[in-house]
Amino acid sequence: MIRLRDVQKSYAAGTGRVVACAVSQLDIAAGEQVALVGRSGSGKTTLLHILAGILRPDHGEVEVAGARLDQLGEAACDRHRGRHIGMVYQTFNLLQPFTALENVLLGALFGRGAGHAMRDRAAALLAEVGLGDRLHHRPKQLSVGQVQRVAICRALINDPELILMDEPLGNQDRTTGEQVLDLLLRLAAAGGKTVVMVTHDPASAARMQRTVDLATLRAAP
Amino acid sequence: MRLWSISLRNLRVRLVATVLTTASIVVATALYAAILVMAEQTEARYKGSIGGYQAVVGPKDASQLELVLNTIFNVGEAPGLFPLQVAIDLRAGKVSRRGQVRYAIPQARGDSVSRHGFPVVATLDEMFTAYEWHGAPLPFAAGGPFRFSWDELLQLGEELAAYENGRRAGEAQPPPRPLLRPAWRQAVVGSRVARTLELGLGSTITPVHGKMGEFGYHEHPEASCEVVGILAPTNSPLDTTIFLPLGTHLLIDGHEAGVFVVEIPPGKTPDDAKRLPVSAARIGLTAIVVDPKDHFGARILRTEFGARADAQVAWPQDVVPRFLRDIGNAADVLTVIAWLVLLVASVSITVAIYNTMNERRREIAIMRSLGARRLQILAIITGEAALLSLFGAVLGVLVCHLAALLLRATVEDMTGVHLDWLQFRPWEAWLVFGVTGVGALAGLAPAVKGSLTQVADNLAQDY
Repeated sequence: MIRLRDVQKSYAAGTGRVVACAVSQLDIAAGEQVALVGRSGSGKTTLLHILAGILRPDHGEVEVAGARLDQLGEAACDRHRGRHIGMVYQTFNLLQPFTALENVLLGALFGRGAGHAMRDRAAALLAEVGLGDRLHHRPKQLSVGQVQRVAICRALINDPELILMDEPLGNQDRTTGEQVLDLLLRLAAAGGKTVVMVTHDPASAARMQRTVDLATLRAAP
Repeated sequence: MRLWSISLRNLRVRLVATVLTTASIVVATALYAAILVMAEQTEARYKGSIGGYQAVVGPKDASQLELVLNTIFNVGEAPGLFPLQVAIDLRAGKVSRRGQVRYAIPQARGDSVSRHGFPVVATLDEMFTAYEWHGAPLPFAAGGPFRFSWDELLQLGEELAAYENGRRAGEAQPPPRPLLRPAWRQAVVGSRVARTLELGLGSTITPVHGKMGEFGYHEHPEASCEVVGILAPTNSPLDTTIFLPLGTHLLIDGHEAGVFVVEIPPGKTPDDAKRLPVSAARIGLTAIVVDPKDHFGARILRTEFGARADAQVAWPQDVVPRFLRDIGNAADVLTVIAWLVLLVASVSITVAIYNTMNERRREIAIMRSLGARRLQILAIITGEAALLSLFGAVLGVLVCHLAALLLRATVEDMTGVHLDWLQFRPWEAWLVFGVTGVGALAGLAPAVKGSLTQVADNLAQDY
């Protein structure tokens, strides 16, 4: 599902450049659930964005869900992300003017299309996570846990092969966080989806099948 | 869900800015539509008013525009008098030797009715029997024409000339002045005259001389006439005209001195001229409405009146378009102003949307992270500008029609132009389309900025 070789991403800083992320080799099989851990600033989120095709590495091979993202153009990367990758963020990233149902449908609109069938699927997904009676509520009218469940539904709406999560439990209390993680992993496992989760929380990381410390992926100088 | 529904939602979220920006588009579109409507209706009125006025004969020293505007459009004072002899010659086929005239109807004007100043046109009954308005006699809403024929005019002219010659010669017992026959005290009024003055068949109108409240103003009760006919609306100056028999005009008290046109012979003074004999052929007219039988007749008229010293012929079909072109220049200036207003409104769209771009960076980054391409972001933001403009343009056109509904009576009173507020024209659809396009273009700059939003940087920020 994921294959990275000699990937590096750096940013300009003053007169020089700072390496934000360097991975000599990373392979993740389809259906695998992996926790990415590492100290702050180790490049976890940067790696996640590279896997999503949001960031283009300086060099290296990035193969995700059958596509060489390092070789695709920007629009093709966007299209690939919309159809094959679901993303869940620490800050949820729901759009405030839209209802729960519409937020989920936004994922479909930029993915496989937001027709009537997708509308039914979005409603069914929200019902499955216990928000069947909150379809037309806006994010501000929902609790933190409910908002995160909407974000999970949005990530799943296109039935993606890969789900990328960036500290998905960071803004929640432990009980709510565990419930949400349970839900996500259950749904992902049921769909045979690959999950990559960036986390600082050892307990959450322990719930995944494998934990990868970013420090161990750095290429030798 | 579609991209345009995101645009629509974004407009709703920023409701105050949306309403204010839309208002500027509404004003610009309504102004532009109003200018076009007025220009179009004015042109239609002027061109349509030419009606059966193929040619207008008038005094030699008047300008053709003056003659046409006064005779057809009731604008200004009559530019002068010329002798009835011209009409006699025209009707006898002497001017255009081969009798190329279908009708030549004499007119005299100078008085008016009511404080509204509806002009009085003294003429023959042929104005309602021979004269053709767009190919048919003038339509009547009620009643019918008065009776005053060409022969009656000639006979009255002889009687008036005999009386005047006796008076000028200082005879002890000059022939009596002809009396105003009761049968001639009849009037036909235009539709707006009837509506404004609340006249019906049998009502009485009294011509006045001068303007009410001004020096020299006086009524002519001796020439009060009964309304025997009310014309159907024509959306032309005919609607504001009052027609009286020419005989009534000639016999109004005080008109005696000006009834005859007398040329002052060389070496004579005006006082000498007052003692010179007159004839019926010297009765003064202000215009003759002429219809040549064909193009050949028109050419003969043009040639022969070119050489004639006492009168000239004006061709409304030539004069009016020329006049409208001059008016058109003024309308063009207004159109430019309307375009400038639209331009300012477009800039306001650009500014309104551009100013939101900073606060929308995260929103755009989220959509990009969900798979939105730059082009889709461009389409969403441009769509906002286009929708804004579309609403404004549609509302602007509706406001224009509403204004036409509310102001039509005032506009008609002030300009005579009838505004048909229910008539939607094809160019209005083009106007909406154009304004929407201009608005979309105005949204392009902020849309480009939005589409260039850096995804990773803005997703990383925790707002």
